[in-house]
Amino acid sequence: MQSLTDIRKDFPLFERHPDLAYLDSAATSQKPRLVIEAIQQYYQNDNANIHRGIYDLSMHATQAYETARQCVADFINASDRREIVFTKGSTDGINLVANSFLAPLLEPGDIVLISAMEHHANLVPWQQLCLARGAHLELIPVSESGEIVWSDFVERLSEKVKMLAFVHVSNSLGTINPAQEMIAEAQRRGIPTLLDAAQSVAHYPIDVQALACDFMVFSGHKVFGPTGIGVLFGCAERLEKMTPYQSGGGMIRRVQYQETSFAPIPQRFEAGTPHIAGAIGLGAALNYLQSLDRLSVLKQLDDLRDYATEVLSGINGLRIIGQAKAKSGILSFVMEQAHPHDIATILNEAKVAVRAGHHCTQPLLEGMGLPGTARASLSIYNHQADIDQLKEGLQTVKQIFG
Amino acid sequence: MNERLKKLYQEVIVRHSREPYHFSKDAVGEMIEAYNPLCGDQYKLYVDRIDDKLQSLHFHGYGCSISKAASSVLVQSMEGLDLASAKEKVASFMAVLNPEIELENLPIPEEYLAFEAARSFPARLKCASLAWETMAKYLENLP
Repeated sequence: MQSLTDIRKDFPLFERHPDLAYLDSAATSQKPRLVIEAIQQYYQNDNANIHRGIYDLSMHATQAYETARQCVADFINASDRREIVFTKGSTDGINLVANSFLAPLLEPGDIVLISAMEHHANLVPWQQLCLARGAHLELIPVSESGEIVWSDFVERLSEKVKMLAFVHVSNSLGTINPAQEMIAEAQRRGIPTLLDAAQSVAHYPIDVQALACDFMVFSGHKVFGPTGIGVLFGCAERLEKMTPYQSGGGMIRRVQYQETSFAPIPQRFEAGTPHIAGAIGLGAALNYLQSLDRLSVLKQLDDLRDYATEVLSGINGLRIIGQAKAKSGILSFVMEQAHPHDIATILNEAKVAVRAGHHCTQPLLEGMGLPGTARASLSIYNHQADIDQLKEGLQTVKQIFG
Repeated sequence: MNERLKKLYQEVIVRHSREPYHFSKDAVGEMIEAYNPLCGDQYKLYVDRIDDKLQSLHFHGYGCSISKAASSVLVQSMEGLDLASAKEKVASFMAVLNPEIELENLPIPEEYLAFEAARSFPARLKCASLAWETMAKYLENLP
């Protein structure tokens, strides 16, 4: 079994910053050496544009890109790699679904159902679409502990609901939503579903066939891969019927001056030269994750979350925001007297990196009467010493603000 | 605690953030809004002005200690000023935050100097300038 200490050695950033307690992995994860090397290897030895290149180098690049797609498909257990669309990230994937899937179907009076704990990425695209179509954006409320109450959810699944989109793991509360059950409930009523797995894919096994979601999105950079690359999973049946999101090169079958027929899926949704190095880097990241004993890594992460929860709970005047029974390694908190930005500034001096603010969930936090929180988020390379360093930094906060 | 932190969170700032001057929701005067969408800090400034004179100011809202203290100092130091002197004061506060300006021989009020430490916390400069920039805009736009 690989211990967390061993895993830490796979991430070169910690050699450069040995004293850093990096507790901001919910914003972006650090990158393992393998990923950095894969990207360098591509640019240094294999760089060429993909598709339709007749020469060896281009064929190699195409192969590497398509291998990465297969790698994503395997990672989330998609039955067909055509169901994997490379995007810029989760936001891009959600916009694609809103525009290419839902926009043509949505009529005035229809409902798009999301939860109140969505990241702005899974809120604003639906909101704007609803506004344009005279449809309603309805919210599944979130309890004080940060959970979706089942009956609140089920009673909103009316005939008018044309889409259910929700977050698997909340980026600001850490809540793990019962994705499987929620999707099943929607599916029973014929409601299409989109799962925002941006915060979950790095740590929890995702099986899109078992989940039976219509769409799922995640971002490469939160799962130890590069920025600027992400994944939209869409079941083939849905994707086949969708019109392109963007058009141009790479997504066509035949172009004439006055008309165009489009390429089959997934190329239909990948206009322009894609982020080839990004896809290759993402493939490397997923391979790296697969090489770990993921269950025991998750167990260690859960232990670390419990330790962090205990440490934070022991600090007078500190309140953890988000007390769901099922919770990931995301710990949001507020302190009496000290504003989250002051906490983050003081922690930075103690070489502790946390994020402060509304974490792109402004309506959720405003609803809770909070201007923001400080958020410590854990990943596979964190260890107890990081939490102890956090604790020490928080003592300084108390010293200054009493 | 290191020296940089001590300088930033010195007594003036902590005191003003804990007991802000004229911190009140139900104030009279024109309301102007200071909002930083990046961090969510948000204050309403109430300016009670008669012609050329700022009678008094109040403020309300939420934000970090630096932005709150800076707003409090603003509200306190604008009180009773004519518009020309108000503009001068705003300029001298902004000078305190500008790393390119040598402050030594400038006539800058003691309380403003507490914010000089923000120069070494670039991520926090905006907190200190938020209310003051809003005030500067208000003064510029007066007929």
